[in-house]
Amino acid sequence: MDCQNAKEKLLESFESALSDDVKGQLENHLTTCPTCERFGELLNQIHAQLKEAITAPRLSPGFRAALQARIDRQPRGLWTHWLPDVAYLAGSGAAILCCVFLLPFPASSVLWIGALIATTGYSFQTLLLSSVEEV
Amino acid sequence: MMRDEDVDALLRSRRYEDAFGLILDRYQERVFRLAFSILKEAGRAEEVTQDIFLKLWQALPIYDGRAALSTWLYTIARNRCFSTFRKESMRMTAPLEGPAEPCREETVSQHAEIKQLLERLPKVQREVITLFYFQDESIQDVAQMLDLPENTVKSHLHRARLALAEMMRN
Repeated sequence: MDCQNAKEKLLESFESALSDDVKGQLENHLTTCPTCERFGELLNQIHAQLKEAITAPRLSPGFRAALQARIDRQPRGLWTHWLPDVAYLAGSGAAILCCVFLLPFPASSVLWIGALIATTGYSFQTLLLSSVEEV
Repeated sequence: MMRDEDVDALLRSRRYEDAFGLILDRYQERVFRLAFSILKEAGRAEEVTQDIFLKLWQALPIYDGRAALSTWLYTIARNRCFSTFRKESMRMTAPLEGPAEPCREETVSQHAEIKQLLERLPKVQREVITLFYFQDESIQDVAQMLDLPENTVKSHLHRARLALAEMMRN
């Protein structure tokens, strides 16, 4: 094992266990190379200091209660997700019916064309919404 | 041990409250740590964690299962944290905080030194290395939280350690 490999294996050893074979080769190299040995000691020192210094913070005990209180103050939002769809379909239906009565064309043609336009519009707005939605 | 599949099943049967409870049990601390690693202030991170779960609660009925639950949640979390970070960038000068604990003088000075060195790392390396130690040294967790491939996380960790070693030598 050369110094470059040894350096890589030393770095790797902090994330996953090295195989016995690689570990043996690394130890052999370290006994003969003071530079890599010092590098290994420095990495160990850094690891130990980071482990001590970076302690995971914990949420306060009141987190869940505070979250629940905020949730209780808000409507579920399920209806608001449906509302645009319901409004669109109701509006389209009403517009098509008006056209059936007002336009001087056969009712079946107006119904078909109206339904086609409404469906295309709905598909387009759904696609547009899913492409811009943050979540 | 709760799995994301259990949550999916509850969501399919529209048992939102049960699903939300399971999600909180599994992810509330992780999301908080992610927020803390970005915002660096425990109080603000907790507030943002609440916002994230509130948003998740409102969005549960439209979760369609196309993305893994963890991916979806961490995407919401990162977006919220970064928008808060941008809005409050003036507040981002606070140093990394951990829970208060009695320390010897020497340990305190070592902590301060390594934290100062961490501050000099590029942002992504600092976040990766902070989350790595927050998450009990799990590469997989860090990769999920930051939406990065595991090899990229390893590469950031290597670079961060090399940079820290270089700074300590000097």
